[in-house]
Amino acid sequence: MSNPSAKPLLCLENVRLSFQTYAGEVKALDGITLEVLRGEVLGLVGESGCGKSVTALTIVRVLPENATVTSGRILLSDKNLLETNPEEMRQVRANNIAMVFQDPTTFLNPVLTIGDQLEEVFLLNPERLARIAVERRIGTIQDSHEASLRNLSRAHQRKLAEVLSIEVLRKVRLPDPERILDNYPHELSGGMRQRCMIAMALARNPDLFIADEITTALDVTIQAQILELLRELKREIAGSTLLITHDLGVVAELCDRVAVMYAGNIVELADVEELFANPLHPYTQGLLRAIPIIGRPLKRLETIRGSVPDLIYPPSGCRFHPRCPMALERCKVEKPELIQSVKNHTVACHLYDGNA
Amino acid sequence: MTQTILKIKNLRKWFPITGGILGRTSNYVKAVDGVDLEIYEGETFGLVGESGSGKTTVARCILHLIEPTGGQILYRGQDMTALKTDSSGIRKRIGVVFQDPYASLNPRQTIENALTEPMKYHKIVRSNDEAIEKARDLIKKVGLNEDHLYRFPHEFSGGQRQRIAVARALTMDPKLIILDEPTSFLDVSVQAQILNLLSDLQNEFNLTYLFISHNLSVIEHMSDRVGVMYLGKIIETAEKQIIYQRPEHPYTHSLIAALPIPNPALRRQRVVLSGDVPSPINVPSGCRFRTRCSYATERCREEEPPLVARQTGHLVSCHYELNLSAPIPIVGTHENHK
Repeated sequence: MSNPSAKPLLCLENVRLSFQTYAGEVKALDGITLEVLRGEVLGLVGESGCGKSVTALTIVRVLPENATVTSGRILLSDKNLLETNPEEMRQVRANNIAMVFQDPTTFLNPVLTIGDQLEEVFLLNPERLARIAVERRIGTIQDSHEASLRNLSRAHQRKLAEVLSIEVLRKVRLPDPERILDNYPHELSGGMRQRCMIAMALARNPDLFIADEITTALDVTIQAQILELLRELKREIAGSTLLITHDLGVVAELCDRVAVMYAGNIVELADVEELFANPLHPYTQGLLRAIPIIGRPLKRLETIRGSVPDLIYPPSGCRFHPRCPMALERCKVEKPELIQSVKNHTVACHLYDGNA
Repeated sequence: MTQTILKIKNLRKWFPITGGILGRTSNYVKAVDGVDLEIYEGETFGLVGESGSGKTTVARCILHLIEPTGGQILYRGQDMTALKTDSSGIRKRIGVVFQDPYASLNPRQTIENALTEPMKYHKIVRSNDEAIEKARDLIKKVGLNEDHLYRFPHEFSGGQRQRIAVARALTMDPKLIILDEPTSFLDVSVQAQILNLLSDLQNEFNLTYLFISHNLSVIEHMSDRVGVMYLGKIIETAEKQIIYQRPEHPYTHSLIAALPIPNPALRRQRVVLSGDVPSPINVPSGCRFRTRCSYATERCREEEPPLVARQTGHLVSCHYELNLSAPIPIVGTHENHK
């Protein structure tokens, strides 16, 4: 839960990013400032093209070549990820930040078994493997010294990795994990593949787990299984989760805090109960009124007029002003800053900054 | 009083699986395996189910885009499956809006062309001028303006394209429109615009909708009656309130209970349906839901439950009268976003 005194795990400070395209410069992130606190599940919601996935890709720095971060810092325990070299970044991705994407099919190698792919996570880090083995007294090496473990034979390492893989598959509630290790991705269903992806992320015991629309490609009943799994894992894993989704239902089910994004900006950030009970930004309000909710009978849905702006030519001032029913003259020229409105509730809107 | 516009009786569509050098049929994918449903004039019938349940195949059979393997599709009492050609013109009475607005419009055709060509081909207008006149009228009805007629699809956003697709569905003066996941490609703010547009058009033109979606909230918002599909069959049909508040089939119940509700106050531990949907090639014997059903018995393995009326208009295909709780805690309207 949000505890303001705790030091955040990850800090984004005024991150700006743009894509060079033939049509022009797409200003995808327009100064993102965000903190992920330790142990929390932070939701990042918005419509397609608002920059939520780009934010995640910027954190793990797997951006396409035409992307440039033009300003800002991303601090992971005082290390600025934007200044790390590729090898250091690789280590961060291996040990600190794990990411799972929407479509598990594209991210699993179709010609390797699940076992090959999952065991690799452990084999790439023999020292950690040895450490875990000693700590947990797994396998036949209970009494060995750690030093000798570093020189474990490859076969021995494999055996250990297999044991650990089975364990982590069990953790994501996959039935019959021994058999799944020998399966190829195409032999598994979408829900099972997504569980394997989550297992690979958990295998690294990451500080930050980024879940980018991980239930979007799944059916409702399978989505419910994965949500239930994430909820159970939330109790087990110590790390933080950044949950990216466009589905306000998923946010309401899982998150502790929520950040709402619009056109490359964070427009509102609050505890989940507070956000749903008391949305402040006109965009958040509009979004909550535009979705049909079961048990809320409405003759008509409220709509947000127009559509998402083209970020090559983003609107001046507040990027939401052309669609905002409450836009002021000021909104056209001056970009609103994120300000604290009530406790643990910040909003970027001129309606709330006192001199509206 | 309420007239039936479309009646489907025991509709089946089995896709053969061929293999080997001789191309022999080794098995069938039973995409639709005995669907019965009835749609009344002027209503919106929502067809909901998970992917692979056969919703779209039903739609494609109705539209005659594929030939059904068996069963009947009656449009106002006339069997459409028996028709060799559409001499009586009833197929024209059924319009369609597809899921993907990026694939359903010809990129090399102006919007004007896309709208006038079907009218001219089917001779529902007498002259080119009349067709253009009508296209202008329709494009305004869907919330665009006349200038848009002279543009190409790539110049439009997803929501605008879907408006154009709706206008095109209306060119034939249809009575029934099949909406196959019309908003699943769209963002929520745009989805609301399209759903409102569809409601307005339904009132104005007195249309009947078959609304297909996997999105339970959208179905609830749009439909009068709802049919729930599972593995090629409809397992429960009833008025919307009954389906969402007092479902009697365990699958309907768990489907609705699985839906994440955008209200953190209702966060709940729920009974999650285990396992996956079985393959439509090897459909389980007896009740096709039994492999995932927590109430399944020996009888469910042996005997397939028929779709029978429990009350007027509430059809359930289950051997047992289970006393299921409300799948979603019923609350009043959310105070903050009325």
